[in-house]
Amino acid sequence: MTRRGRPWWPYILMAAALLLLTLNETGLLSPVEEALSFVISPIERGVARVVRAVGDVFQGGQEARELQELVTALQKENETLRIENIRLQEQYVAENEQLRGLLDFKNANPTFSLVGADVVARGQSAVVVGQDTNPYLGYLIINAGSRDGVAIGMPVVASGAVLVGRIARVSPHLAYVQLLNDPTSQVTALLQGSRASGLVVGREDPEKGNLLIMTEILPDETVAENEIVITSGLGGLLPQGLVLGQVESVSYQESALFQEAVVRPALDYRRLEAVVVLLDFERPPVEELEELLQEP
Amino acid sequence: MSLYFGIPILLIAAVLQSTWLESVNLLGGRPDLVLLLVITWSIIRGVNEGVLWGFVGGICCDLLSGGPFGLWTVVLTTVAFITGQPWVHRLGPTSIRLALMTALGTLTGHGLLLLLMALLGYPVAIGRAFSNTVSVAALLNFVLTPFSFGFLVWFHRRALPSGSFSA
Repeated sequence: MTRRGRPWWPYILMAAALLLLTLNETGLLSPVEEALSFVISPIERGVARVVRAVGDVFQGGQEARELQELVTALQKENETLRIENIRLQEQYVAENEQLRGLLDFKNANPTFSLVGADVVARGQSAVVVGQDTNPYLGYLIINAGSRDGVAIGMPVVASGAVLVGRIARVSPHLAYVQLLNDPTSQVTALLQGSRASGLVVGREDPEKGNLLIMTEILPDETVAENEIVITSGLGGLLPQGLVLGQVESVSYQESALFQEAVVRPALDYRRLEAVVVLLDFERPPVEELEELLQEP
Repeated sequence: MSLYFGIPILLIAAVLQSTWLESVNLLGGRPDLVLLLVITWSIIRGVNEGVLWGFVGGICCDLLSGGPFGLWTVVLTTVAFITGQPWVHRLGPTSIRLALMTALGTLTGHGLLLLLMALLGYPVAIGRAFSNTVSVAALLNFVLTPFSFGFLVWFHRRALPSGSFSA
């Protein structure tokens, strides 16, 4: 099949490429993608293991490695304690306030019948095997897929209760996590101290790269620096109380309707090695609520 | 014949791009291994085999991307189609052709990637992308061109004559 003999060949391949992109939009390509990812996922996992092992070798001698291990262990412990502290604050201080509020509500409405509920999460642990080949997308690739029960939209956490992102695409053995700082990511959020609500979005910055920004904070809310930002759980897509980060700076322009805060992520997403996918958690009955709202 | 080694080379290049090169941060950017191999092969072997490599390399990259499937395939086949044209061989010595086509191919590839993403509704900052990511990628790809050229010429000499597609 020579170029002179069949000059149409490149055009057919280019048309096929465009067809792939079009079919992807219709969702017809999923079986093909699944079949191909069946081949690529073991290679990806194997190479990721080798790359990690080679990286370890280059880190230095035994002493340096021991020191590195010690530092890593201490960093992990520090991170765990910090997150545990945030969780405890969330669990006891904020919960106490909320329960007091609920108690007031119950006292004010003695005829109401109420029941308490907690969010219950079930997780699937996974190892981060790679990053997106597209430099303009903030995605991670993890080695858990639809065969492990992973599905689109599931929350992905690390270090206990830090939200990393959500599953954007899934194949039988791999899943693609849209990080919080991806420009198309949006998460409803809450400031732990002031309980001000807003929307945490990813935004590209000309100088600093992808940032986390909390938008739509009402102008009369007081936002303090270093305040913890957590998921609000509104909409039922994510559990409440997952840590997103800390407020780095706040800005408000008179002409704007809302305040904005730059959020420092709780974790360096590029250094993640292991994550947990929340396969299931107790969601508020959003559908029932929607039905109720639609009723005349 | 070229696909016998083309598929594993492109597959491994895509996996290395996803696993290893992601941790490499040179001048705030990273080289595009698969794009570089596709450009180099299309210069060595012409438009037919270049586009075929672009198609295979694109699918490998798409499998390791959370973006829409087919995005990389369109980008890499288009870049190979441009850089594999016969007029490229009239641009002078091989080193000049490689340098020019690597720069042109990287700019075209990233430009098309950004354009398609924008058309598909992804928010892209094209100005920032060209001033940071694309310029650095073009420079790094240019620096790596002699290595990819030497590597692929070695395979080229062992493959069937130029233009053969039989795998």
